[in-house]
Amino acid sequence: MRLALIGNPGVGKSLIFNQLTGLGVEVSNYPGTTVELQRGNTCYRREMIEVVDLPGIYSLEGDSDEEGLVRRFLQEGGADAIVAVLNVARLERNLYLLLQVAEYGLPMIVVLNMADEASKQGLEVDAAVLQKLLGVEVLLTAASQGKNIEQIVPAALSASRPATVDIPYDHHVEAAIRSLHKMLGADRLASIRALQGIGDDQELLEAARTIADEIENRHRMTIGQIIAANRHNFARQIAEAMVRRPEPPQYPDLDGILTRAISGIPVLVGIVVAMLLTVFVVGSWLEGLIVGFFEVAAIQPFTALGLPPLAERIGVSILVALQAGFGIAFPFVFTFYIFIAVLEDSGYMTRAAFLADSAMHRLGMHGGAIIPIILAFGCNVPAIMSVRLLGSRRERMIAAFLAAMVPCSTRTVIIAGIVASFIGIAAAFSVYLVVAALILLTGLALSRATPGERFGMIMEMVPLRRPKPELVMKKSWSRLSEFLFIAMPVLLAGSVFLGLFEFFGVMSIFERMVEPVTQGLFGLPGYAATALVFGIFRKEMAFETLAILAGTADLGAVLTTLQLYIFTVVTVLFVPCLSTIAALIREVGSKVALAVSLYTVTLGLVVGALIYRILI
Amino acid sequence: MCEDYLEAILNIVSLQNRPGRLAEIAEALRTDTATADRTVAVLAGEGYVVRCPGDAVDLTEQGRILAAKVARKHCVLQCFLTEMLGIDTDAASREACTLEHEVSDDTIDRLSSYMDQIQPAPRHRWGNVEHVRPLLDFAEGDVVEVAMIRRFGRNRRLMDLGVLPGERLQIRRRLHNRSIVIRVKGCDIAVSPEIAASILVERSP
Repeated sequence: MRLALIGNPGVGKSLIFNQLTGLGVEVSNYPGTTVELQRGNTCYRREMIEVVDLPGIYSLEGDSDEEGLVRRFLQEGGADAIVAVLNVARLERNLYLLLQVAEYGLPMIVVLNMADEASKQGLEVDAAVLQKLLGVEVLLTAASQGKNIEQIVPAALSASRPATVDIPYDHHVEAAIRSLHKMLGADRLASIRALQGIGDDQELLEAARTIADEIENRHRMTIGQIIAANRHNFARQIAEAMVRRPEPPQYPDLDGILTRAISGIPVLVGIVVAMLLTVFVVGSWLEGLIVGFFEVAAIQPFTALGLPPLAERIGVSILVALQAGFGIAFPFVFTFYIFIAVLEDSGYMTRAAFLADSAMHRLGMHGGAIIPIILAFGCNVPAIMSVRLLGSRRERMIAAFLAAMVPCSTRTVIIAGIVASFIGIAAAFSVYLVVAALILLTGLALSRATPGERFGMIMEMVPLRRPKPELVMKKSWSRLSEFLFIAMPVLLAGSVFLGLFEFFGVMSIFERMVEPVTQGLFGLPGYAATALVFGIFRKEMAFETLAILAGTADLGAVLTTLQLYIFTVVTVLFVPCLSTIAALIREVGSKVALAVSLYTVTLGLVVGALIYRILI
Repeated sequence: MCEDYLEAILNIVSLQNRPGRLAEIAEALRTDTATADRTVAVLAGEGYVVRCPGDAVDLTEQGRILAAKVARKHCVLQCFLTEMLGIDTDAASREACTLEHEVSDDTIDRLSSYMDQIQPAPRHRWGNVEHVRPLLDFAEGDVVEVAMIRRFGRNRRLMDLGVLPGERLQIRRRLHNRSIVIRVKGCDIAVSPEIAASILVERSP
């Protein structure tokens, strides 16, 4: 038995899902897409019931990936019963999707969620009206208080049945439905979908296209518009019959602060800076603990075993990779994910996207792209994984490209550890300025050069809410495991390879070979190149390796100010780390990943060489 | 026009099981043989028909495919018009015949270009002249009614959120950079300037 939760974004679907399933949630990508699908299990009367949380959508007939996925899921009979979740405080808009779902004629029940919010707004909801109209079970719930959630599974098991509603369409559309039925035997749903160009039956699509053209000529409206208007009108009638609203109460409007430029932008900047500082401070502290713990508890005991040199080398490489993985994952990535989950669940992200929309347009993206860019300051991997939220492939590419260039928290460690401590704070800021300028230039160039259509932003501002701690932790945890899943294999393989190279003396040959180049181009010693290569694993390893190879942590004593500065700039720009490359391959494909890597390597080397030429 | 010929030839060919004569074609289209001859020459030039001995005309494979498509379209329209108008099959068939060629494959494109060209027309209401203007011309707090949306096909999401002609919107926020938040059906929707520019509205009564 499988239940599927379907509904608009922000109706409390995930909260219901979490309350139904508890732990053991599996996040999987639907075949052929990057859209996430959450599956979990629950037990009822000794029967195992699978619950699927479908992505939040506004329509079953749109062209976004999510909408396509849910449509396919329903068509393929992905669920034995549908649980349609609605936000009863925004009933009319939510009914629009419900009517579409009802048209599919699958066994279903309806959950009117957020009853608490509705009663706070003084709304009186009569669920019986809907129950009578659709002929299916309708529950009134409040997921944030856990109210009536326990009734969902029993109702879905015992009382789910196909809805009996027929949406009254325009008489032209009704005539089209009758024609298609007469001529090709198509049912109501198939006809409505074919009229909007959806479906696989070519004969039906062609006939529907002919009729749709005819209707459009008569109405001077697209057929999609006519059908949508009919559904919206019907939804309004139902909502008016169901809801009594006495006096709309006045409540404080936080959006007055958050979405005005004068107050909103300082708040946005303040939130980002506070978040980065916290992640940086907490992250560096935790990282020190974890790396130190690995050193004492794993690497030192292992080397003390006195294994044969080759085995020892491989073993140490594996331990170092684990150390690097966990050293980033928990301190920086997890802390960061928690912040991000809080911002998302509170509804603030949509405000930030709105404020940033116009600025992002210049870089060829819309406001939503602010999310990957902010994320990238913490860690590039989640940033790149978040580009899937963007609408078009063009935007995803630009956002992934730019996010990979943003100095993440580990690159901040290098800037702070080398430039700030050996040269000065002003010099450290100048590194950020150089990188920021390069990101802007790259964005401007990419927005011109990248093919693909530009789409503007149409985004619902979800109501501001207080995030639920357990949901925030759960979300962060599931994302963290996804991060480890992507990053770990790459880190392990890479580390073993480098270990072997070093063991067989390839590294010193490499150093001797590149020494003239690094000296000539950047005025850097050969071992700096080795440090750069190690930086590919975990950016601040470049710093650590440099200190080890230089034989002292007091880098200022062995390298000049200029050398340190150039090393930092090159490291910060140079190739994103391996985990980032893995994420890039996954989200935007290996071609773009390769392009990003080549571009950043070139950029790092060219900028480094330029600084050397100018400042020498 | 040429499509009528192809359909007529297809009818004759499939009924008689032999190439159609020019006279038969002219008769089916209620025209004279000279006109039919000229049109057939054009069709032959485009590779849809071939001339056969004895003043006869046959369809090429390409012509057969197109003719079948026209016939199908005709049939669908006939059925649709019958359903819609409740009229008898003959009258519907005549209307379908005049309609089918105006129904081009890119009606949506034409429709949107038509809507792009259209100039906002003044409307009279209680003696006041109210203009249909872009949404961005209005100020924060204004309540407006959607009059028209340009390039609708590209903004399916607007439609699903309920931004349709006749719907009332309230402008919740309007930044100096022209980003805008509208309230529709009780929900706040943020909209980019280029999309907001395609929404034409008038002040709500």
